Amino acid sequence: MLARVANNLFWMGRYIERSEHIARYLNVNYFSSLDAPNTQSQDRQFVLRSMQFMVGDPVLNNEVLEEEKVLYKIGLDPNFPASIINNVKQARENANSARDLISTELYEAINKFYHFVLKYNADAFVKNGLHDFTMNVAEMTAILRGKIRGTLLHDSVYAIIMLGVNIERATQIIRIINAKYHDALNAQGSYGDKFSHSFEWTTLLKCAESYDMMRRFYKKTPTSISTLEFLILNPNCPRSVMNSLNQVYHHIKILDPSKAYNKTSTAFLIGKVRSEYEYKYIEEIEEDIQLFIDQILKSLSEISKKMEKEFFNY
Amino acid sequence: MGNLKNQMFSSYQQNPELYDEIYDNKGEVKTIYKKLFDIYGEHSIKDYVKLNDKAKSSFFNQGITFQVYDKKKTQEKIFPFDLFPRIIDPTEWEVIEKGAIQRSKALNLFLWDIYHEKNIIKQGIVPMELISSSVNYLDQMNGIDPPGGIYNHISGTDVIKHNDGKYYVLEDNIRCPSGVSYVICNRTALKRALFGVFNHYNTCSVTNYAENLLDLLETVKPKGVDVPNVIVITPGMYNSAFYEHSYLAKTMGVELVEGRDLFVENDFVYMKTIRGPEKVDVIYRRIDDAFIDPLEFKPDSTLGVPGLFAAYKKGNVTLANAPGTGVADDKAVYTYMPAIIKYYLNEEPILNNVHTYHCSRPDELKYVLEHVHELVIKPVDEAGGYGISIGNRLTKAEIEKVKKQLLAEPRKYVAQPIMSLSVHPTYIDGTKSFEQRHVDLRTFTVLGKDKEFVLKGGLTRVALQKGNLIVNSSQGGGSKDTWVLKN
Repeated sequence: MLARVANNLFWMGRYIERSEHIARYLNVNYFSSLDAPNTQSQDRQFVLRSMQFMVGDPVLNNEVLEEEKVLYKIGLDPNFPASIINNVKQARENANSARDLISTELYEAINKFYHFVLKYNADAFVKNGLHDFTMNVAEMTAILRGKIRGTLLHDSVYAIIMLGVNIERATQIIRIINAKYHDALNAQGSYGDKFSHSFEWTTLLKCAESYDMMRRFYKKTPTSISTLEFLILNPNCPRSVMNSLNQVYHHIKILDPSKAYNKTSTAFLIGKVRSEYEYKYIEEIEEDIQLFIDQILKSLSEISKKMEKEFFNY
Repeated sequence: MGNLKNQMFSSYQQNPELYDEIYDNKGEVKTIYKKLFDIYGEHSIKDYVKLNDKAKSSFFNQGITFQVYDKKKTQEKIFPFDLFPRIIDPTEWEVIEKGAIQRSKALNLFLWDIYHEKNIIKQGIVPMELISSSVNYLDQMNGIDPPGGIYNHISGTDVIKHNDGKYYVLEDNIRCPSGVSYVICNRTALKRALFGVFNHYNTCSVTNYAENLLDLLETVKPKGVDVPNVIVITPGMYNSAFYEHSYLAKTMGVELVEGRDLFVENDFVYMKTIRGPEKVDVIYRRIDDAFIDPLEFKPDSTLGVPGLFAAYKKGNVTLANAPGTGVADDKAVYTYMPAIIKYYLNEEPILNNVHTYHCSRPDELKYVLEHVHELVIKPVDEAGGYGISIGNRLTKAEIEKVKKQLLAEPRKYVAQPIMSLSVHPTYIDGTKSFEQRHVDLRTFTVLGKDKEFVLKGGLTRVALQKGNLIVNSSQGGGSKDTWVLKN
């Protein structure tokens, strides 16, 4: 596979995954806040701020946000780089240049996705289309993952895409944790809602499509510690950071099957990061969650950069 | 049912002077079109509009689009596609297929000759100026033996049917002929929209193009290579034919590369992969001669690969088509095609050439001057339709002007009878009805070492504007699925 095309496929995977997380974040936060048990979590401003924070565009405290503007910006604004529409455009652009390597089925699905987002009426979206739009985005990305898994040869092309998907998934889950962690902190002090039992943990789990399974696993109302443990360390939760790291490790081994000791390889770095979290316990992380978030984001970006150097920049 | 049939074709107006592909000279629907005509007749025009939209979205979803730029944003558009297929019966097709192979082979031998001994010139069959005046003649190619002896691996021969019911060749395209992916997409779109109609016809498949192309490209591998590494090179994803490039690479199962993915070391070509350099043996290039190697041709080209031509010269890599083929597909050479076929193959041309009058010959000039109003006058050295005068569209004053030009520089001009392209019922969005539109047919021929292949089908291009004879997509032309029936 060409180095340049590998780079494009990697980013195709990342943008597909990214668009899904943003869409789900909008959906879950908006709708779960409507009947949230406390006034703070119910507050429109609070929710809109959280959305902006999650896409890396935090707002100053005193600024008053307009719902329709925020939704448009994050959903369909072509001039906002982190908008869903731009992520989908980028995913398709990257797929375009690797069109000869991926299956017709996958390409058509990406293309359909692109035209769906492109044609979506912005007015309808901000007024009453939030649910329809974001659900469709989430579903279409699920279809894409199915096509990736089900129609591609499981070789280096597949490994590169899955590396992109999983590095992005870990990154987005951490960003979502970060955003909801802040929400939980900010929601403190309102009636009867302590940080560790905040309503925001439930929202967080729903944002990661992991609420039901978490309930099954712990059989208790989510708390800060059980939620973070599940989403960060549980290797069987498909959205957990640990699971993503395991996937990343598995796929890098397809690209680089060598067993020899090579401390400069990407595989080595991934193995190192993965081992670190494999043997962590949640109390260590909870001690300074902000530090953990900064560190893991840094590690993920180092992995991405190293991959670029080793595989994409011949 | 008869009434319903009228809904689709009741307003169809036939101009008796034009050759209509679906009607015979008695005004009856031809046998091969009869079933299709009846099936379409069961639908109303409303159904048809719906199906048309379905076909359009099929193109969007397949991503077969080109981009249009305006002030605010770039827009994606699809090439107009007509749901009424063109049908060619097997006996007619046989003539086209044999004729296309004959021309491609003759052109290949011609290219070998003019880049080697130049016998055809020495014997006075074609004039020296044909080569010396051609901008597409590459001195660098003199004496080079392309692997397998093939220059024009891929040829696109454009044929039309004149109002005498015979096929004529209008042009041979042997540089980088494009359009083959549309043949396959048109078929896919038609199958999705109207799958039922295929049950009634025994139509040749068009999806075997890529496997045959790869097969034939492998026969012209460089010496000393066992299993050749074939690739397709494209100018990039913003090129209007990028879809076709990626389609061909995908269906052949080979890499699609850009110039920046390749490099040359010790006169061998390599591509940059995730596991380091990988040698390349056969390059199907979709980049024009001038851009393939900045060291040898256009120095500011960023699309090509520095050193590629040197590797080619050494015989370490095959380029398809070979550099310098363009010399054989210009208008001036076209006029000599019957003589070229006769000279190299000792055969009569199977497909007609449009008769050409050379104004450099006094008796022919005399004829041309007397018949300007029924001829097309073309300068021999201009491309892209510049400087062409169509006799029956000229005013008296303009005719006099043309005559003056002819007398002043007779060598500069050739003249041909005005050809009338056949017409075919075509759905017109504006009037929501079927109307006669002019069509041509681009065929695709692949030459390998001692092997050849013609795609059984081709791209029927339609001039969508009433009365227009220009079918090029850049001029608003559309296309039709083309069915070649099995015997």
